[in-house]
Amino acid sequence: MKNNSAMIYVVDDDNSVCRSTALLLQSNGFKVETFTTAEDFLAFKHSKVASCLVLDIRLPNINGFALQNIIAERGMVIPIIFITGHGNIPMSVKAMKAGAIDFLPKPFTEKKLVDAIVLAIAKSKIHNKQQDEIAKIKRRVDTLSVRELEVFRFVAQGMLNKQIAFKRGTAIQTIKVHRSRVMHKMQAKTVTELIHFARKAGLVSL
Amino acid sequence: MKQTKKEKKLLLPQETHSHLKEKVRKQTDELKIKNAQLQKGVDREKLADDQIHILTKAVESVLDGVFVVDAKTPDFPIIYANSSFYSLTGYTKKEILGKNYFLLCGFDVNERVSEEIKQILFQGKPYHGEIANLKKNGEKFSSLLRMAPIRDIQGEITHYVGIKTDITLMKEKDLEIENQREEILHVTRVGKLAEFVSSLAHEISQPLTSILSYAQAAQRIFAGREPQLQEILQYIVNDDHRAVEVIRRLRTLLKKSKPTFEPLDINTLITDTANLMMAHITARNKIIKLKLDDPLPMIQGDRIQLQQVILNLISNSLEAMEASRESRELMVETSLQGAGMILVEVKDSGCGIPLENMNKLFTHFFTSKPDGLGMGLSISRSIVEAHGGCLEAKNNPDGGATFYFTLPVNMKQDL
Repeated sequence: MKNNSAMIYVVDDDNSVCRSTALLLQSNGFKVETFTTAEDFLAFKHSKVASCLVLDIRLPNINGFALQNIIAERGMVIPIIFITGHGNIPMSVKAMKAGAIDFLPKPFTEKKLVDAIVLAIAKSKIHNKQQDEIAKIKRRVDTLSVRELEVFRFVAQGMLNKQIAFKRGTAIQTIKVHRSRVMHKMQAKTVTELIHFARKAGLVSL
Repeated sequence: MKQTKKEKKLLLPQETHSHLKEKVRKQTDELKIKNAQLQKGVDREKLADDQIHILTKAVESVLDGVFVVDAKTPDFPIIYANSSFYSLTGYTKKEILGKNYFLLCGFDVNERVSEEIKQILFQGKPYHGEIANLKKNGEKFSSLLRMAPIRDIQGEITHYVGIKTDITLMKEKDLEIENQREEILHVTRVGKLAEFVSSLAHEISQPLTSILSYAQAAQRIFAGREPQLQEILQYIVNDDHRAVEVIRRLRTLLKKSKPTFEPLDINTLITDTANLMMAHITARNKIIKLKLDDPLPMIQGDRIQLQQVILNLISNSLEAMEASRESRELMVETSLQGAGMILVEVKDSGCGIPLENMNKLFTHFFTSKPDGLGMGLSISRSIVEAHGGCLEAKNNPDGGATFYFTLPVNMKQDL
């Protein structure tokens, strides 16, 4: 199995559900961490690998939905699969609207759970990849000088060299030099790619 | 009087003058006395006549049907009936007089009731009871019948007098209240059962989940090996599914019927519910007071469900006051809060809520009553929440507890 790098978190107040779910997922080749409260899960130091959360709705103090909100507020991106022994349609709608991957009534079959987890991990991987790319671009942006960053912003906004030169009150030749350095440092092959990087790095709004 | 005068004439020639004078005087006196006695008799008769006249008038004016039956004849013929009796039964005077009372009024089947009444009357006792009757046109009506024997000087029963009161409307009203209460109780019972099954399903689904996962994990771990073990594991998985199916079907069966939302006046709802419970409250020697803010805007809700909540809170309050003789008063109050919310408060003067129970009040299966299921408040809360409000409890500073809930005002009413 190629799941070895992914981490599955299981939060359920029932010890036996935690243990058996962990066993089932481990037998499928996943790495699993279990928690019996939302608080324990939040206190855990999460690694950066692709991950997903198998979450019970009925939990003491902080319930599943509340934990979903906290995760969103903290800017953590973990795809969530809800599991519940007490589910109904309004609950599942609520969960899915808040971005859950799936809503599985207990008891769930191995296939349903594993299918949902594979989907969740794929999403998590895509997200991680995007995050990695953004981090890489941001690192490149950090290498730019103040002047270069300024020119980068203008170019990203779609301004021509002479417009930038006019605005800056400098020779067009100087702008051209800055611009080529920006292209080089950002490792952009075309201007289109450069603008794309600027967007990813949050230098211009979409 | 005539005879006395004749006597006088016959005696006249044989008596002396003085003797005669004396006799005349004596007889005149006698006559005077007799005259006075006669006058008295006439007066008495006149008085009796007046009395009979007034009594007859009175009986005729009574709104209940009054009738007299001859007791000396075996088939109970009616010899008198007042006009209310005619209008009550729909028969005319001609049709009634001389007829057997019991046959006329078309009693219940098998004459069981009429025989019972006759037996009581034959024993010389009065009868009092509710019976079902038929009018001339076949229409049914309920009546309250009282019959008592009339005796002569010798103590022999000569007649029976009967009073018949139409209680059809009263009965219908009672029945209506009874039906309404029954409906709410039924919904409450079904709701409790559904909630119970739902909670049970949740509790059981936990171990079922574990069992299924353990078995599936074992299947995975021993994949391609141990065929006998694999077979057993498959049986475990299959039976787990079977148990799940049983629970699923039970839950579908008891699925709470969808609430029907309509515009409602909360004050009317509370008054109706209080009326439903009036007999219950009075029987416990308690008083319910309504302090309703009127007029209040309409709310949007399910009548039966909200009545269920109010009913539940009132009965809880009654139970809280059960133990104490002094705490008698129960108050239901409504008021308009800011932000388009209506507040309903049910205040009792009972024993209050112990602090350690405060947090558990609304959880499933929590109860402080020996025979309670612990579902009432949790169901009430979920109903109120489904209506967009919240249900809370607090202890009153002057003793007792208050359960209060909010309901949003129906915004669509002006459209």
